[in-house]
Amino acid sequence: MTRRGLPSTLRTNFRDDIQLLDSGFVRFWAAAGLVAALLLPLALTNFWTGVANQVFIAVIGALALNLLTGTTGQISLGHAGFVAAGAFTVAALITHFEAPFGFVLLAAAIIGAILGVLVGLPALRLKGLYLAVSTLAAHFVILVGVGQYQSTISYGSGFTIPSPSIFALEIGSERAWYFFLLPFALGVLLLNLNWLRSAYGRAWMAIRHRDVAAEALGINVALYKLLAFSASTSLTCVSGALWAYHTAFVSVEAFDFDMLIRYLAMVIIGGLGSVLGACLGALFVVVLPHIISILADKIPVLQGLGGKTFDLQVGVFGVAMLLFLILEPRGLAGIWARVRFYFQLWPFKYRAWES
Amino acid sequence: MNLLVVILIQASFYALLGMGYVLIYRATRVLNLAHGDLMVFGAYLFFQALVATGGSLTLAIMAAALGAALLGAMVYLGVMRPLASYPVAVGVLATIALGLVLRTIVTVIWSAQTRYPAELLGRTGQPIVLFAGVNVSGIDALIIAAAVIAMIGFPLLLRLSTVGIEMRGVAENPLLAAQRGINIHRINAFSWAAATVMATVAGIFFSIKVRLGPDIWYVGLAGFAPALIGGMDSLKGVLVGAVIRAPGGACGAVSGAARRAVDAAMGDFRLARGA
Repeated sequence: MTRRGLPSTLRTNFRDDIQLLDSGFVRFWAAAGLVAALLLPLALTNFWTGVANQVFIAVIGALALNLLTGTTGQISLGHAGFVAAGAFTVAALITHFEAPFGFVLLAAAIIGAILGVLVGLPALRLKGLYLAVSTLAAHFVILVGVGQYQSTISYGSGFTIPSPSIFALEIGSERAWYFFLLPFALGVLLLNLNWLRSAYGRAWMAIRHRDVAAEALGINVALYKLLAFSASTSLTCVSGALWAYHTAFVSVEAFDFDMLIRYLAMVIIGGLGSVLGACLGALFVVVLPHIISILADKIPVLQGLGGKTFDLQVGVFGVAMLLFLILEPRGLAGIWARVRFYFQLWPFKYRAWES
Repeated sequence: MNLLVVILIQASFYALLGMGYVLIYRATRVLNLAHGDLMVFGAYLFFQALVATGGSLTLAIMAAALGAALLGAMVYLGVMRPLASYPVAVGVLATIALGLVLRTIVTVIWSAQTRYPAELLGRTGQPIVLFAGVNVSGIDALIIAAAVIAMIGFPLLLRLSTVGIEMRGVAENPLLAAQRGINIHRINAFSWAAATVMATVAGIFFSIKVRLGPDIWYVGLAGFAPALIGGMDSLKGVLVGAVIRAPGGACGAVSGAARRAVDAAMGDFRLARGA
């Protein structure tokens, strides 16, 4: 499976290579996307603005998972557990200290980084299947831990989180959330892109390709694996904290196996190892259930399924994941790359190298 | 004494489940996270056959086993074979997706309603006296018998029969095996079919003893613990793992969450030992 990024046309020097917006085509679409994102809330109802906010939160989580599983090649099945850790950081800090928003986000990031080192340390010796299983075990351990916390502190009923405020501005309505989360998600996106073109990103990709060769090239594999783990879990915990504030309610049931599968679906459907793919995958996975339930109301054949729309969503995820794994391992990002090359190189058919 | 027998029954059940994981892992080096869903699917096949045959246990089990074998072979040929050249992690992710699809199919066909196949069987439940003071129900005796047969039969099959020798060859070195003229995809499909049948047998027993619903896939996932504790590619190890795992399930006082934590911790422990 090729999991390389998306090279544009020929590059002749190093500056070209690390450019963020590397062609007129990308520049145009980035600008168009930004304008569309800024104008979007005008066109959306309150409900769909809420969905867009969920997409932003999912983008942060998916980027974090992509950093670990896609870029560094360390498969993680503990993602939902880390999201839970972030959400419960919010719950605990608000219940016990009524901590302010910014402080809580920072605390979530720090706790996430520490968790990442804790999970990453035993994972240094494990590969492939055993890494998957040990991170899955971490997922269950974290869930049991926060579940115990919840049943002791709130007698099992969960925690209500008040709306946060920054600089005395309350983030209450969905539209306010939109204009807070849009720059936040963009910031995380830029952070990821910058990581990828720095020495860190190159070290992580080298570890993914072959860790022995990376070690021989002078990369401290253990250190960079730990860095990847803690960067990823830190971002994941922040995403979990934002999720908790946005949902305004934290309870352990939300962070089950299904959430893990949703995040895996995002990076697989989007395309493992691609930043763009993580964003597209998050959009796809968050919006698809809503589209399915709308379709289920409209299309007569599906109406017979009645109250089974949730099961239908789960099944569609499964089928989509299988189809992408078998037919297009590079995911939505791969499809986008093909479309992009087709137009960029037109009227020529072949690109300079296989991406 | 009765507690020990309960542990024995639990261990047999987990051994049946764990062997399915081991078979697939040995054959294709894939951790099959869809095993629980294959178990549920097989159990529903059994339920359907039970309805169709009007409560004949033998016929229903045979029909379910046949269906499960077909299902397992189809899963390998349709899903796992195209992914054979990818890294192991991709195969694991594919089994997760496969589990989702199977769960949806089960819910759409049979609905999420909880069923009790034991009612269809008429609950003959005559206790069988093993020895003085120890009673087991007929179905418990069947579970133990099935586990014992599988535990003795499979190593014999692997050691003596042609297909067993071919399976070992494919597990050891697929490339060499293929060059010696063994159809590795046929053999792998057979492994998947056999594992699915074992999952189905476990599912049948669970559905008779406890209940049948789409949510019991979780029980199937729990069968992964004995396989892991016993060493993923050792059939004997499963037995040890199942015996270790069973008391956790047998002691009703332990809550489900704590049990899962113990499973997870035991898994971690084994991994940390450098498995």
